[in-house]
Amino acid sequence: MLQLTNVGKTFNAKTPNAKVALRNINLTLEDGDFVTIIGGNGAGKSTLFNAIAGAFLCDTGRIYLDGQDYTFLPEYKRARCIGRLFQDPMRSTAPSMTIEENLALCYQRGTRRGFGIGVKKSDVAYFRDRLAELGLGLEDRLKTKMGLLSGGQRQAVTLLMATIVTPRLLLLDEHTAALDPATAVKVLEMTDRIVKKDHITTMMITHNIQSALELGNRTIMMDEGEIILDLKGEERENMTVEKLIDMFSQKRGKKLDNDRMLLV
Amino acid sequence: MNLMAWQGSIELGIIYGFMALGIFVSFRILNIPDLTVDGSFTLGASCSAIITLAGQPFLGLLAGALAGAIAGLITAFLQTKMKIQPILAGILTMTGLYSINLRIMQKRGNVSLLNIPTVFDPMKQIFGNYAKLLFPLLLIAVVILGMTLFFKTQLGLSIRATGDNEDMVRSSSINADFTKTVGLSLGNAIVGLSGALIAQYQQFSDINMGIGMVVIAMASLIIGEVLLFLGRSLQWHIISVVIGSIFYRLIIMFVLNFNPADRLSSYLANAAEGSFSHHLLSFIIRYGEVSTSDLKLISSIIVGLALSYPVIKDRMEIRKLRKAGEQNAATH
Repeated sequence: MLQLTNVGKTFNAKTPNAKVALRNINLTLEDGDFVTIIGGNGAGKSTLFNAIAGAFLCDTGRIYLDGQDYTFLPEYKRARCIGRLFQDPMRSTAPSMTIEENLALCYQRGTRRGFGIGVKKSDVAYFRDRLAELGLGLEDRLKTKMGLLSGGQRQAVTLLMATIVTPRLLLLDEHTAALDPATAVKVLEMTDRIVKKDHITTMMITHNIQSALELGNRTIMMDEGEIILDLKGEERENMTVEKLIDMFSQKRGKKLDNDRMLLV
Repeated sequence: MNLMAWQGSIELGIIYGFMALGIFVSFRILNIPDLTVDGSFTLGASCSAIITLAGQPFLGLLAGALAGAIAGLITAFLQTKMKIQPILAGILTMTGLYSINLRIMQKRGNVSLLNIPTVFDPMKQIFGNYAKLLFPLLLIAVVILGMTLFFKTQLGLSIRATGDNEDMVRSSSINADFTKTVGLSLGNAIVGLSGALIAQYQQFSDINMGIGMVVIAMASLIIGEVLLFLGRSLQWHIISVVIGSIFYRLIIMFVLNFNPADRLSSYLANAAEGSFSHHLLSFIIRYGEVSTSDLKLISSIIVGLALSYPVIKDRMEIRKLRKAGEQNAATH
């Protein structure tokens, strides 16, 4: 359903600062896949997401989603089918607008925005139900400005915003990394529940190798802009954190070196 | 200050209130400082004046608004498609409009509408002597209502979100370039309408009438926010902008009526000849009288102070904290 062929990207090409961010990425996702992505700093994980979401155009290769050529589509058009969450909860919400207004904006994802009523009463009832599912008591605070919520609350609402119109593809870029451990677990549980319920094809970047192996059905490891490991099925079930680290050293001839990587 | 002066100030406040509403759209909703306004204000006025001369004052208002929208469209194009910095894009359009405005006014620096029928003449039959007050009031009520409703539509929400968080807008499948273009056109259309009304109100249009309008509009906006806006709702925010504009004109009326010679002469008589205070007082009496030429300075000071208020407040708080800390250290 998502297909990347020979995708490559070099930043500052033809200058002394040239940096190869993506190198010949070939990746095919099946409908309903939940792929976790791990790798050190600068491995190209977020760059891969940016390439898929359309923050920049790739130098080489093609990107297809559901058979449609996405390679040269602008970001806002890709957003019709791609939902995305960032590490920073501030990045995906409009702080001076209310929760219901934020949700309404996302609820119109993919439609033409004209002179219809922005926040419809019938939609508000639906928002209330969906917010109640989060279990944060936000269903009574629809008219609260988004900027007044805590980081965890904001990220939970952002998750709802990204999935309120079920996206074809959901990109989670370390969306729990800025939260305190307890909240992070909660948001991760919500993510898992929503993804399973709506059967959303998902890619998730994480620094926690353990949860990368536990969540989803496939794990990809990246290094220096390449996919170096692609684990699925039985091989993945038998994988442990230690084995993974060993495999990395064998493959790359260096140690998996990342102060943020959680090896537990 | 008689009743006439009050009425005149309120009339001007309402008509310039349109301009403040235009700036509200670009500066507050879209979060873009739009300098096109200096040009689109005059553009609205010159279109209105020429068409009024031709005998179609109402069409003049419409043309002023439409011309303003086109000016906004050009600025938006430079900003979004050509990626020129917002301030520079505004300056480019504004500068270009100077020549265009001269062409519209047939290469004359000003166009007089003395003894030419304006929109206020037919309105006199409806509103009587208060035509110049009630017609703009009615019109601005319509614009306020229109804006309030518009910013609650799907498109309106998208425009508001664009000013709030562009990242979020793009990831919600909204074309941020489009929403910015709509916002800037709308803002400048309202500014053009303001210029068009002013030209007919004061019965002339002048090539330099737009200079400093951005600052005046921002001053009105900020005064309104300080006076009324309590972070509540959008409609109150919009209304407060117009009330701010009226207050701005009233403040100006008071300042212009402030003649230091009258008020300070008694102090001068008490001050000893040759002393510092005597010199200071006679200096103020001699040069201190406020005239219309000082208005732009006053507006700049108001806006400068308002925009630096958060920093000043922070500094004061830090100073207070430090003093308290020193006292604490001294007692222990």
